[in-house]
This record gives sequence, C-alpha cells and structure tokens, in this order.
Amino acid sequence: MTTIPVRPPLVRSGERMIAGVCAGLADHLGWPVRYLRWGMVLATLAGGAGAVFYAWLWITVPTAVEHARRNARRPASPIAPAVSLPLASPPAAWPPGPVRGTAPTLDGGQQVPAADQQVLAAPLTTPAFGAPGFPAPGGSTTSEQFPTSTAPAAAAWFRRRRIQYGKEILLGLGLLLVAGILIARQFGVDVPLGTLIPAAAILSGAAIAWMQLDETRRAGLVDKTKADQAGGWARLAAGLALVVAGVLVMVSGSGSWEQTWLALLASVAVLGGVVLVLLPWGLKFWNDLETERAGRVRETERAEIAAHLHDSVLQTLALIQRRAGSEQDVIRLARAQERELRSWLYRDPGKDAGTLADRIKAAAAEVEDNHGHAVDVVTVGEAAMTERHEALVQAAREAMLNAARHGGGTVSVYLESSPAGSEIFVKDRGHGFDPESVPDDRLGVRESIIGRMKRHGGSATIISGSDGTEVRLRLPVEEDENPAANMQKENHEPPKR
Amino acid sequence: MNRPNADTAELPANHERRVRVVIVDDHAIFRSGLKADLDERIDVVGEAATVDQAIAVISEVRPDVVLLDVHLPGGMGGGGREVITGCAALLGHTRFLALSVSDAAEDVVAVIRAGARGYVTKTISGQEISAAVVRVAEGDAVFSPRLAGFVLDAFGTAPADIADDELDKLSARELEVMRLIARGYSYKEVAKELFISIKTVETHVSAVLRKLQLSSRHELTKWAAERRLL
Repeated sequence: MTTIPVRPPLVRSGERMIAGVCAGLADHLGWPVRYLRWGMVLATLAGGAGAVFYAWLWITVPTAVEHARRNARRPASPIAPAVSLPLASPPAAWPPGPVRGTAPTLDGGQQVPAADQQVLAAPLTTPAFGAPGFPAPGGSTTSEQFPTSTAPAAAAWFRRRRIQYGKEILLGLGLLLVAGILIARQFGVDVPLGTLIPAAAILSGAAIAWMQLDETRRAGLVDKTKADQAGGWARLAAGLALVVAGVLVMVSGSGSWEQTWLALLASVAVLGGVVLVLLPWGLKFWNDLETERAGRVRETERAEIAAHLHDSVLQTLALIQRRAGSEQDVIRLARAQERELRSWLYRDPGKDAGTLADRIKAAAAEVEDNHGHAVDVVTVGEAAMTERHEALVQAAREAMLNAARHGGGTVSVYLESSPAGSEIFVKDRGHGFDPESVPDDRLGVRESIIGRMKRHGGSATIISGSDGTEVRLRLPVEEDENPAANMQKENHEPPKR
Repeated sequence: MNRPNADTAELPANHERRVRVVIVDDHAIFRSGLKADLDERIDVVGEAATVDQAIAVISEVRPDVVLLDVHLPGGMGGGGREVITGCAALLGHTRFLALSVSDAAEDVVAVIRAGARGYVTKTISGQEISAAVVRVAEGDAVFSPRLAGFVLDAFGTAPADIADDELDKLSARELEVMRLIARGYSYKEVAKELFISIKTVETHVSAVLRKLQLSSRHELTKWAAERRLL
C-alpha cells in the first residue's frame, strides 16, 4: 500500500456487477473485489454514503476503453486518470456521509478545480468507509490514510505533481480539521463557530484565488484550453466572493443577516467610489503597459527579420557582386535567393511539408541550383506522399534534369493532384530532339522515367517537337482498381535522349 | 474585341498606332528597366510610383494599358487594387495588366477581381511582356501559368455540368485551356494542341477571366486568403 507508482490505472472494469466500479477499484488497489463490494454495501447502509461514492466514481472514472482512447492522445498517466477528467457533477454531490450533512457550507462555496476534487473527496470518503467498520487496512488513524487515499490521485496529476502534493495535504488536513470540529460539536464541546467559519472562508477564498494566479502564470507552459480559462475566472470570482463574505461576517461581528447586508452595501459603495477615482490612473497604466509590450513585440519581430535578411539576402547580394562576371552564377544565386525568401515570406508554418507539391518544388529547386536554369512550378491540389508518389517525384526530377540540361529557356512544371490521381507535366522550350539520333546506350530516360512510372502503375509520355519537349507523367490513385485508366495514356513514342 | 487580325496577335502585325502605356511601380529601377525592355510597339507615356500619383497620371493621359504593380505605397493601402477602383470610370478604355513579384494568391485574385485583364510575374522577359501588353490592349486576357494554376485550384478541376452554376465552374474546354496554360503553353501552342484557333483560345481565356471577376462564390476570396503560398 505504500509503494505508489506501479498500479494498474483506475478504470471501470469490464467484469462488472453494476458499472464495474468495484472491480476496477479492486484492480487498482490490489484488494479482493469481494471486500470492496461488501464495503460498498455496508457504506450504503450508513446513510447512503456508499451509494453516493459509487455514483461519483461511476461518473468520474472512465471505462477501460475510454481510458485507452484518451491515453492514445496523451502521455500515459500511470494511475487514476479520472482526476484529469472534467467533472460532470458539481462538487455538492460529494458524500456528506461522515459529517452528517453539515459539510455543505464548505462544499457549496468552494469551487475547487477538477483536479482537487478527487483529493478533497478522498479524505472525506475514506472515513466513510472507516465509520461503518470497513475492514480495510489503514483503519481509522489518519496518518495512515493519507498515503492510501491522496497519494494515487496526486501522483496521477503528472503535470503539476510537485506543487499539487503540498496543496492536497493541506486541503486534506483542513477537511480533517473541519470534521474534527463538527464531531467535537456533536459531543457538546463549544466551538466558536462564529469566528471560525468566516476565517475559514477567507482563508480558502484567498487560497483559491491565489491558486488561480499561480495557474495563470503557468498558462504559458501548460497548454490550456479555453474552458480551463473560463473555469479559472469562475474560480477567481468564487475565491473573491468567499473572502468578501468572510471579511464581512467577521467585521460585522455577528452572523446576523441584516447587519451583514448593510455592511455589504456600505463596503460596495466605498469600493465603487475608490474604483471611480482610481479608474483613469489604472486605465492609463494599463495602456502604457500594453503599448510597451506591443513595442517590444515589434522590436523582436524586427530583429528577427533583420537577422534573416542578413543571413540570406545580404549574403547573396555580396556573392552576386563578387560573381558579377558570370551571368549563369548571378542568375542561379538570384533564383535560389528568391525561392528562399519567398518560402520564408509566404509559407504557412502550420502546413506540414510532406506533400507531393512540396516534394516537386524541392526537386525543382535542386535542379535549378545545379543547372542555373529557371524551373517554374505550378501546382494544383494536394496529395500526400506514398511510396508510389516517391517514384513519381523521382521520375519528375529526372525529367526536369533533362529539360534543364538539354532544353532551353524556362522549364515549366505543372502538377495536378485530384482524387483520381496525380499528373505532372514537364515542358521545356529547347529545340526538341530526334529520338533516332540518340545512342542506344543512353537509357536514362527509358529507365528512370518510363520504366519507373510503369513499375509503379503509372505511365509516362514524351512529346518532342521543334518548339520544345514535354514529359507527361501520370499516376492513378490505385492501380489495382482501374487498370483501364492506365492504358489510356500509354507511352506511344519510344523516347530517348 | 472586334479585331481584324485576331489570329496573328502574337506578332506585331500592322499596327497603325502604338500602344500607349503607363507604368506604375514604386521602384524607379524596375520602371526604367521595364521601359527599356518594352519593344517598339509600345509607347510609355507616363510613370507613377504611388497610388495617388497613379490615379492622377492615368486619368490625365488616359493610356491604353496600365502596367500595374500589385504592391504600391500611398492611398489607403490598397495597392494596385485601389488604383483600379480609383480609375473605374476609365475601365472601358484603359486596361490594366497586373505585374507582381508576389505569388500570394490573395494579392493576385484581389487585383484581378478589381478589374485587371491579366497578371504576369516580374521575372517575365521584355519580349513576353510586350506581347502581353499588346494582347491586353486588344481586349484579351493574359494568364500566366501561375494564374492559370490559381484558377484551377480555386474553381476545382471538375468541369461544370449544370448550366445554372456557370459562373462558379469552368466548362470542360475552359479547363483544358487553363491546364495547358498552367503547363507553360503559349496561346498559339494551346490552339495547336486543341485544334482550335487562337481567337477561340482568347475567347475561352476571356470567359475564365470574366468568371474569375464576377463569380459570386465567396469561397474564391476565402480560398485566396487561406492559400498563402504558391
């Protein structure tokens, strides 16, 4: 019971009587299911605590399937993933069993973050087991209960484990204190509730509000959803309300509703006056702060742009000046720089770079760099890369190389991806070539373009005339499905180069 | 569009009158370079560097064609688009050819939808740009391969089959023409490939341009905005 880490996750089991709660809990704790079931039944007899506890677990603990699905998206949480589940039920649904219905003052007011609810519930509910003679180890001594009840929940809270730990122990202690006081009252001891309750309210309200502050500061690190932020505001408001109420009750000196009400009115009026006076200053301060922050952001951006321009454009310009004699080099440098700058300016960083269009562009850039020939790429549609597309890219690259090497003028590359397949056209404006004049040992085109496309279920056609050559590559989506599509554009000319 | 010798538009045919052109670009180096590159069919009658200057110069000299940079300083920050809307009264007489280094689809589509008759990149050769200017002066549209690619991407590559969405889709023939242009074919080559006359190619391209300008489908703009890169 003292070793925390190696435990099966707390999930609702498939071998179930009702909802698999007891079986799951038994798996998780390593106790016999029978004991748990009987314990649950006994606890139910004690004012319904067992039933409430059962229902609560039913709601919060995921089934094994849900758990697996959730963990597929996240790093696995070793124990009790339920704590990170947003709670469906409000905290007021906790078992009020052992404290005999006096707990609601605490329950209703304290809007505790979802993570803490389990923690809060744990020390609350464990006594519920203990009270009706639950035979579990741990008995009734509080010092032994903590490791068993709070630790698993806390350890599961993998993102904020360290901070959460102390908080949970404090909360547990506080709740135990409350329980102790209530029990003492039962036995006739006079407890100054009139002082204690407001003080507790102030303390817990402040704690909740400060916790929120802490979270906001961490928000940059922890990735938070909007719902979390809304919850944060609710928490802040709840904390504030608690503190205000506590202070009022304490100051007015009595729990009298009338007096409290008057005091509340007066203090709100005073607060309103103060706010009215300070508001302009506050706004001005806030604006200054915002302006300064925006300025800093701009500055950073500028610095980044300057750094990039220095590394790329200025370097290239210097190179161009030195190589001014060689037209080929100047063109090559200018094209490469243009491409780099363009991708830096217009590329959407959110887009993943693994599509067919990107690969074709990269291949074109490579050819451009190596041969100093402009290769213009136009793409329509998108297709994800597969092994067959890889072959298409290789064939297209070969075609572009040939076009740059032998053709003249700008090489035009057009890629069209549609649900039916992908087509690539590589066109140059050279003088064309006569297939007859190409030596038989030049197998580059035949093998690396036509052969490759055929092997992968595609086709390649090469059309050459006096005003240029065009290589047409076609890769249908699934060669098994419609072989007829491939036949349409089979290569009729035996092209060699 | 009633031109006597449409089929030979690629060559400087019997031009009684030179095409009067205003160059609008904020880089003086580019303006002078372009001026030197344009051939004898073209007469540069004015230059402007900002939106306001451009509107003033264009209204004054009333050129046949304005070579318009997409990105321009001045005005309300609208660049080339603002120049076209500012000269809306002249649109019947003066035609705009957008020139850009920007490949961003949203820039190009914005300027075309404002009324430009075409779009070419600044890396185009002097000969090509002269041909494009003459073509635009004659009332035709000029599509670069990249613009054709934009059109195909925006309208989709499936042909229209129902008549009522005719503005939102390209016909099968228009698609073929756009594809060939995107593949780097000149109008002449497109005509040869499809066994049609150059005049017919021009008609198709003009029809596509009309659709690009008039299509009410808001996806077009949305598409352009999303498509940051090409």
